[in-house]
Amino acid sequence: MPKILLVEDNEMNRDMLSRRLTRNGFDIAIAVDGSQGVEMATTEKPDLILMDMSLPVMNGWEATQKVKADPATSGIPVIALTAHAMNDDRDKAIAAGCDDFDTKPVDLPRLLQKIKALLEAKGAG
Amino acid sequence: MRALLDTSPCAVGIVGPGGRVLYTNRRHDELYGVSADQIPKNVRDLYVDPTARDRLLEIFRRDGRLIDAEVHNRRPDGGTFWSLLSWSQAEYDGQPCMISWLYDITPRKQAEAAMEEARRAAERANQTKSEFLANMSHELRTPLNAIIGYSEILVEDAQDRGDEASIGDLKKIQSAGKHLLGLINDILDLSKIEAGRMDVYLEYVFLSRLVDEVKTIVEPMMSKNNNRLIVECPPDIGSLRTDLTKLKQSLINLLGNAAKFTKEGEVKLSLSRSVDEEGVSQIRFAVSDSGIGMTEEQMGRLFQAFTQADSSTTRNFGGTGLGLTITKHFCTMLGGDITVASEPGKGSTFTIRLPDKTVRPEGAGEAEPEERPVAAAARSAHALTVLVVDDDPTVHDVLSATLLREGYNVLHASDGDEAIEIMRKTPPDVVTLDVMMPNVDGWSVLGIMKSDPMLQHIPVIMLTIVDDRNLGFSLGASEFMTKPIDRARLIALIQRFARTHSGAVVLIVDDDEDVRMIVRQAVEGVGMTAAEAFNGEKALEWLKTNPHPALILLDLMMPEVDGFQFLARMHEDASLRDIPVVVLTAKTLEDDERVFLAERTILVLSKSTQPIGSLGHALAAIAARAHGHGSEQAAQG
Repeated sequence: MPKILLVEDNEMNRDMLSRRLTRNGFDIAIAVDGSQGVEMATTEKPDLILMDMSLPVMNGWEATQKVKADPATSGIPVIALTAHAMNDDRDKAIAAGCDDFDTKPVDLPRLLQKIKALLEAKGAG
Repeated sequence: MRALLDTSPCAVGIVGPGGRVLYTNRRHDELYGVSADQIPKNVRDLYVDPTARDRLLEIFRRDGRLIDAEVHNRRPDGGTFWSLLSWSQAEYDGQPCMISWLYDITPRKQAEAAMEEARRAAERANQTKSEFLANMSHELRTPLNAIIGYSEILVEDAQDRGDEASIGDLKKIQSAGKHLLGLINDILDLSKIEAGRMDVYLEYVFLSRLVDEVKTIVEPMMSKNNNRLIVECPPDIGSLRTDLTKLKQSLINLLGNAAKFTKEGEVKLSLSRSVDEEGVSQIRFAVSDSGIGMTEEQMGRLFQAFTQADSSTTRNFGGTGLGLTITKHFCTMLGGDITVASEPGKGSTFTIRLPDKTVRPEGAGEAEPEERPVAAAARSAHALTVLVVDDDPTVHDVLSATLLREGYNVLHASDGDEAIEIMRKTPPDVVTLDVMMPNVDGWSVLGIMKSDPMLQHIPVIMLTIVDDRNLGFSLGASEFMTKPIDRARLIALIQRFARTHSGAVVLIVDDDEDVRMIVRQAVEGVGMTAAEAFNGEKALEWLKTNPHPALILLDLMMPEVDGFQFLARMHEDASLRDIPVVVLTAKTLEDDERVFLAERTILVLSKSTQPIGSLGHALAAIAARAHGHGSEQAAQG
């Protein structure tokens, strides 16, 4: 079962997304801030990370940069979750090393597609 | 004379040598509140900014006069007034002196200041309003996300339980939530536009793909009123540099409206490319429907915020009436426009026209037109700019995703002409060039580049699916491979063609000693013997005096007798015809110029295999060569 690390500070968003991803056959690990996210990327060795960008302690961009800078975790695909139409957030996310991004509120079928594509690409590579 | 001057509405003062005030008229005395003999010795004190007088004097000395300077004056009693000041030279009582003419403009200045203050206040208020709306929208969205998200979870739960009755109700909550979210997003967009905080992000948009995407999104809206969506998009419509999100939103908006105001009819989206009056290529997106249409009067109000064709429209059809306003703003920001043609009962056609050129969008602070903001964000002092030239959108997608992530700046061109145009405007550090493109192919682009002093130094990476095998085959070659030589593939080829002749000889025909050495090692590595020839002439001589080799590895570009001539001569001789030949070359061009060019090609990669990994290496190599710091840059990727 592929493991996804969900880094999200908003309790409701976390609850919704983790329940729906579990239903879709993923094993979910949860981090509530960027710093914890970076730590759990190492300890949990997830197959993919869903990273909210506006996080307390350490924001999502910084956390992504840390994950991508560490050879132990750099291979883990990161999908950035950004607020609606915040183009600059999106661009910053990609600049920080995110492999893909999606906007909140999450459109689950679309997000699942992106997750699937990245997991397949990772499996192939 | 004095009596005359005393009637003047203009204050007149005469200053003699040494700055002594010789005369003032009545208006002057009124304005300053003192008469000539009471004016202070230091006339600089008569200016709110004493240095202002020095500047004016400079002009006066240079030009011999001063005309209509706006001056903030100070009275001896400390009060101030504004004047329009002129100075002229004259003689007074037989001495040279300066006459100053002042006209009081204090009331005008006060009015101007009041207007400016009012304008600033209005701007501040509008800014506050926009910020409030933006913050409010965010606050509204948070609980809305929960409503939408949890209702979706409940729908999924109900589906699992087979609880059909609940599904319908839950879906209503969900769809109402999504509708509300759409409205909030519209308000947010409009407030951002009004606050001047809506930025334009130019990127490379492949139109046929955009149309497919838009089609998927609007299909459900179409089926709601049993409308049929027809899309007319020429297969060669190509691409456009624009803001993808804004264009997509505009099209969805127009199509959504068309679907809303049409029942059991047709909605058509047609794209076309044309040239405007100024010779600029432009793309037209026309959305037409067979719906209720509009009167002239209704059309007049169409693009105004918060208004719809009719106030009853809102009751019957819903919506905020912001969609078209936003769309119009977007079109303007993208350098284009939107127009409408309609007749009541006959439907409407909305047409968006966007220029296909890199335009500086309205408003300040956007990224340079030639670069994606992503690239700008990722840009470091050492970041290389890569121009991707390919007619295949997928290649652009894949390459830009990879390159941007690795910190390169990426430019895009879909054909040769565009590539050259971009290179001349923004010379890139590296070009990846597709060989097979319509109209101007990769080799021609390379040709143009290498004959242009501005462009010839730019390294080029050729991406190709075909290795121009046909050229090699038609010349009688058994195989064809490109340089620099892929050792593994070379060995595989040698083994394939020469396996049966173990211990036999492989003839290497190449003028480049290094290449001969590399190939020799490969040949000897598989336990065969290598013979070498410097050019076609030498190779033919060798063939006459030696037993037939198991294989000939042939370079095409050589002095005197080149590979082509060699093959032609071999072909004439029946005894030599059956010797397998593998062509090794960096060139696939017929004429000398192209030969010269192709030699300068850094690398030929095969697109059919993995372009990304190998490209990364190639770029790292180029980076290391081009910039001292390049290697770090590439190493990060």
